[in-house]
Amino acid sequence: MDVFFNLTLNGLATGMLIFLLAAGLTLIFGLMDVLNFAHGGLFAWGAYSGIWIYSSTGSFLIGMIGAVATGFLLGWLTEKWIIKPVYGNHVQQILITLGLMLVLSELLKVVWGPNQISASPPDVLKGSWEVAGIVIIKYRVFIIAVGLLMFFVVQYILKNTKIGLVVRAGVMNKEMVQALGINIQKVFMFVFMAGAGMAALGGILLGPYSGVIHAEMGMEFAILAFIVVVIGGMGSFPGSILAAILVGLSGSFMAYYVPDLSLAVNMLLMAVVLIFRPQGLFGLKG
Amino acid sequence: MLGLTKTRSYLYLLTALFLLIFPFVYESRTLLILLTQVFIFAMFAMSYDLLLGYTGIVSFGHAMFFGIGAYTIGIFMKSFEPSIFYLILASIVTVLLTGIISFFIGLLTLRLKSHFYAMLTLAFSGLFLVLAEKWRTLTYGNDGFTFRVPDLLKDRTDFYLISLVLMLLIFLGLRRFIQSPLGRVVQAIRENEQRTESLGYNVLHYKIIASVVSGVIAGIAGMLYSISLRFVNTSVFSIDITLDALLMTIIGGVGTLIGAVIGSGIIEFAHHWLTEMAKTHWIFERWIIFFGIIYILAVMFFPQGIVGTVKNLKFKKKDRSQNTQA
Repeated sequence: MDVFFNLTLNGLATGMLIFLLAAGLTLIFGLMDVLNFAHGGLFAWGAYSGIWIYSSTGSFLIGMIGAVATGFLLGWLTEKWIIKPVYGNHVQQILITLGLMLVLSELLKVVWGPNQISASPPDVLKGSWEVAGIVIIKYRVFIIAVGLLMFFVVQYILKNTKIGLVVRAGVMNKEMVQALGINIQKVFMFVFMAGAGMAALGGILLGPYSGVIHAEMGMEFAILAFIVVVIGGMGSFPGSILAAILVGLSGSFMAYYVPDLSLAVNMLLMAVVLIFRPQGLFGLKG
Repeated sequence: MLGLTKTRSYLYLLTALFLLIFPFVYESRTLLILLTQVFIFAMFAMSYDLLLGYTGIVSFGHAMFFGIGAYTIGIFMKSFEPSIFYLILASIVTVLLTGIISFFIGLLTLRLKSHFYAMLTLAFSGLFLVLAEKWRTLTYGNDGFTFRVPDLLKDRTDFYLISLVLMLLIFLGLRRFIQSPLGRVVQAIRENEQRTESLGYNVLHYKIIASVVSGVIAGIAGMLYSISLRFVNTSVFSIDITLDALLMTIIGGVGTLIGAVIGSGIIEFAHHWLTEMAKTHWIFERWIIFFGIIYILAVMFFPQGIVGTVKNLKFKKKDRSQNTQA
C-alpha cells in the first residue's frame, strides 16, 4: 500500500511537470500550427535561471518568479525574432525552432558551465508527513498543488475572459477570428509568452524534485511533452493535463516494476493513439 | 548522362577522379580519415535530403537508422568473427531492420501532418538511445565497445576508396531514383500534396517508399561510420547526429543531392578546425553554438543553401542575358 501510494504521488508530480510543458506546446500548436521544438530549451532555462536566483537570494518564491520572468522574456524574444520571420512556412518553422533549441541548451553551458547543478527544496518543503503509516514527501505534494493551480488558473482564463474566448476561437478557426477584426498575432504573442512562462515554471520545480539539473533535461522532458500532446490531442488544453497524468503515472509505475520498459510503454501508448485516434484522445481536429 | 548538363557531368567526373587518385599522390593520414568521414556523412546527408528536400518530410530522428547500422555491424563483428561473411550478414540485417522500422514509423505518421513524423521520429530515436544504454549485455551501455574489422577494411586507403565508391554509387542511385517516374511523384507531393492526391496517386504509399529508401541508406552510412572508428557507443543515436545531417543538408542546399555532399564537406572540415581551435580559446569548445546560429540564419535567409543560391544567381544571369538579346 505504501509503495502504491508513493508511486501514485510520484507519477502525479511528474505528470504535473510534463503538463506545465505540454500545456504551452498544445496551445501554441492549436492557435498557430507552430510546433515549438525549442520548448524544452525554455524549460531548461527556467530551471537554471530559477535555481541560480534561488541559491543566491535564498528564497524559492523569488526563484520561481525569476524563472517565470525568464520564460516570459525568452518567449517574447523567440516569438519576435525566430517564429515571426518564418510565419506560415511549416517546414521552416519546425527546422528553426530545433535550431533554437540547440542554441539555448548550449548557451546554458556557456553561462552556467557544462556541469550538473544540484538543488534542494527550501526548508519549508523539506522532509515528509506521516499519515497512517504512509510517508508523504512534502515537495511532491507542492508540485501537484502548483500544477493543479496553474491548470485551474489557465482554465479560468480560457473560459471566462475575453482573451480566453479569442484563444479558444482561434484554436477552432483562426481565419474567422481574423476576419472579425481581431489581431490574432498579438494574441499569439501572449499565448506564446504564457506557454514559455509555464515551461520555465516547470523547469524550476523540477530542480529540487530530481536534485540536479543539467542542460540535456530540456530535451528529455520535451520528448515526454510531445508524447503527451499527441495522446491528449493537439490544441486540447484539458487533454494535455489528463494525458500528462497518464504518462506520469505509467512512467512511475513502470519505472518501479519494469524499469527497462518505462519509456517504451509511453511510446507504445502514443503509437496506439496514433493508429486508432490520430487526432488524440481529446482532440477536435486531426 | 543522367539528365545532367554536359559541363556539370564533366565537373562531377573530374572531381570524382581527383578524389580517386588523391590518396596515391598526397600522403596525409589525417586528411584521408577526414575525407572518409566526409564521404560517410555525405551518404547520410543525401538520405536525409531525400526526405527533407525531395519529399518535404521533416525527420528529427534520422540518427536512429544511422545508429542501428552502427550497432548492427559492431555487434556482429564483436559477437562473431570479423570475416567477410559476417560483414555481409550484418549488412543484410541492417537493411532489413532499418527498412522495417522506417516502414512502420512511416505507416503510423505519414498520413498525418508533417509535425507528427518529426515528433515520432524524435521520440523513437530517444527510445533507441535508451535501449542502447540499458541493454548492457549486447551494447555494453554508455561506454560502447571496440571491435575488429575484416582484413579487407583494415587499410585506411582501401577503406577511403570503398567509402568514396559507395558514396558515388548512392549519389547516382538516388539521382536515378529522383528522376524516375516514382521520384517525380515524390517531388510532386512536396510541391502540392492535395493536387497529387486528386490526380489519383496514393500519397501515403509514395511517402513511405521515400522514407524506407532514406532509412536504409542512413543505416548503410551508420555501418561505415562505426567500421571507420572500429568502435561504437550510444552517441550514434544522439540528436547531434540528426542535427549534423540537418545542418549539412540545409547549408549545402535542400533538394539538391550535391548540396548534401558539399554541406558534409563544409561541416566536417569546420568540425575538425573548430576542435583544433578549442585549444586556443574555451569558447570554441561550445562550437555547436556557432553551428546553431549559422543554421538559424541559413533557415531564415538562405533556405535554399549554397547550391540553391548559386543556381538562382545563374538563372538570374541567364534571364538578364536573354532579356538584352530580345
